[in-house]
Amino acid sequence: MTVFQPGLVHSPVTPFTSEQRIDFDVFGKLIEFHIRNGADALAVPMHAGESVSLSEAEKRAVLEFAIKRAQGRVPVIAHVSDAGTGIAASLARHAQSAGAAAIVATTPYYWTPPPAMVLEHFAQIGAAVRLPFFVHNAPEDMGGSKITAELALKLIAKLDNFVGVVDSGLDWQFMIELMTDAPRARPGFQLLSGTEHLVSAGAIGATGMFSSLTAIAPKLVRQIFDLCRNDKLFEARKVQEDIAELRQMLKKSEVASLKTAMRAMSRDCGDPRAPLQALNSDEQRILANALSAMTALRAEPRGW
Amino acid sequence: MQAKFRGVMQSPVTPLKDDFSLDLPIFEKVLDFHVRTGATAISWPHHKGESLNLTIAERKLFAEAAVKVVAGRIPVTIHVSALAVEDTMELARHAQKIGADGILAITPYFWNPSREAIYAYFVRLCSSIDLPVLSYNSPSYLAGVEITGDLMSRLIQRLPNFVGVKEASFNSEKFLEISRVALALRPDFAMLTGVEYLLPSVPLGGVGSYSAAGSICPNLCAQTFEACVSGDWPRARELQYKLSRLWLLFRDQYPSSLKGGMVMMGRPVGPTRLPLPTATKERQAYIRKELETLGILDSEPHGW
Repeated sequence: MTVFQPGLVHSPVTPFTSEQRIDFDVFGKLIEFHIRNGADALAVPMHAGESVSLSEAEKRAVLEFAIKRAQGRVPVIAHVSDAGTGIAASLARHAQSAGAAAIVATTPYYWTPPPAMVLEHFAQIGAAVRLPFFVHNAPEDMGGSKITAELALKLIAKLDNFVGVVDSGLDWQFMIELMTDAPRARPGFQLLSGTEHLVSAGAIGATGMFSSLTAIAPKLVRQIFDLCRNDKLFEARKVQEDIAELRQMLKKSEVASLKTAMRAMSRDCGDPRAPLQALNSDEQRILANALSAMTALRAEPRGW
Repeated sequence: MQAKFRGVMQSPVTPLKDDFSLDLPIFEKVLDFHVRTGATAISWPHHKGESLNLTIAERKLFAEAAVKVVAGRIPVTIHVSALAVEDTMELARHAQKIGADGILAITPYFWNPSREAIYAYFVRLCSSIDLPVLSYNSPSYLAGVEITGDLMSRLIQRLPNFVGVKEASFNSEKFLEISRVALALRPDFAMLTGVEYLLPSVPLGGVGSYSAAGSICPNLCAQTFEACVSGDWPRARELQYKLSRLWLLFRDQYPSSLKGGMVMMGRPVGPTRLPLPTATKERQAYIRKELETLGILDSEPHGW
């Protein structure tokens, strides 16, 4: 299989109307915004896109809309995680028929099956399609469930289309172990950073990155990506510190903070869906003030 | 002053006789070996030196030997972490009395102290001596007890002799959160990591590490540091992957496997104290095979 290298992947939010329906008008503008502001690829709907709060039909609709709107200008990666293996596999099949460039999936939601069953979960999702398949290691989102290097090696042996790990765990031991072993078993195996903490991951060998902060600071994110891809790691430290500061500001309420920050940047995508709660007006004001005080954001685009 | 604590610093194992008593003549050989093979500082007794399995009297005895044998050729720091805080205070005073160059102390064991309790602990420890103090952050081994960026900032502002940290979370976000805050307040603050994890930490402001495998492969340690500080990332990657394979070999039942490996390198240091196992002959043979595969037997010093 030709190796698909996603590069800098933007993970858009899902805009909602005040009635909490998907706002496809705004979503269309958002996709244009991401493509114009440095996306090498899009991934929908990731956790930042509130995938877990969308119905199965909505997930399909979001993916189809993004692919249609992107019109081949950038590839679109489909996020197909689910609790049940069969449901995730059917999302994967849909992604393939809809024209997605690749699929990505985390460990199952809620359940904590033994390692052999986690392997089977991934094996069946991957076997459902011919698309490149990335496994997402996101222990903080998944109640501590982790991908191990051992699991990755077993999955390589089972699946021809398992091409890489998207890592949000940030654990040096895991990333180094993975990159010591997996590329030997599968040449071209990729480590992609699942967050904007790219300097250490890039030093270890990450060649791509998924980012939701691109909704706020696409230039800063592009800068860290380009510096790290060119092995300018010392030069990247200052930019990485700015990004860390921004991440800290948004960390407490995650998607709700991200959507508040988007409103502050004049790209209103509405509030998150229940059970997530929007920030209250004081919190919104504090965050908006903090963002406007941040020198590193001066050059970032306002509005659409 | 902090420029003392950089590069790959070695923490010697604790040699034991067959009856598990301390073996002073071999300890002197270990110390001398590290100094001759490029260690930039000595620090003893780390967990690798079975610190928690030694009595306070034994720790004082060997601390004196370390200062005496190294004789100012490189700095010597004493690891004073103990189950009881009172023992830590006693070991710190002793380190100062015998002429050590600094101490290293982890967050308190077992009790899951609050952030305020960790703050009070370091304030008391640092105020009790004039020596430079290096802190030791190891959240994954200590059930989430950790020095956060905020706490680090308060400690640095309060304590002039709080000069560095062994940051052993091995996590991109945690390391950067501390380095970002610490280096802004104290530009020569020593950001160190454990287990030779130089590749992911040096680009984020790291200036060195302690070492797991230095008694096996001192040349590899020095080369990795050199590649990282000179920004030769392709070479740094290759060397770090190799060090990582050694860490996987030794991490299992650390430090007994390491002591087993030392037998194979012609530097036997005796058994490991209970409750840790001692590497069996079979384990030693397995380690030898791995060292051979990695080319360590040919590229690293044999014997003392």
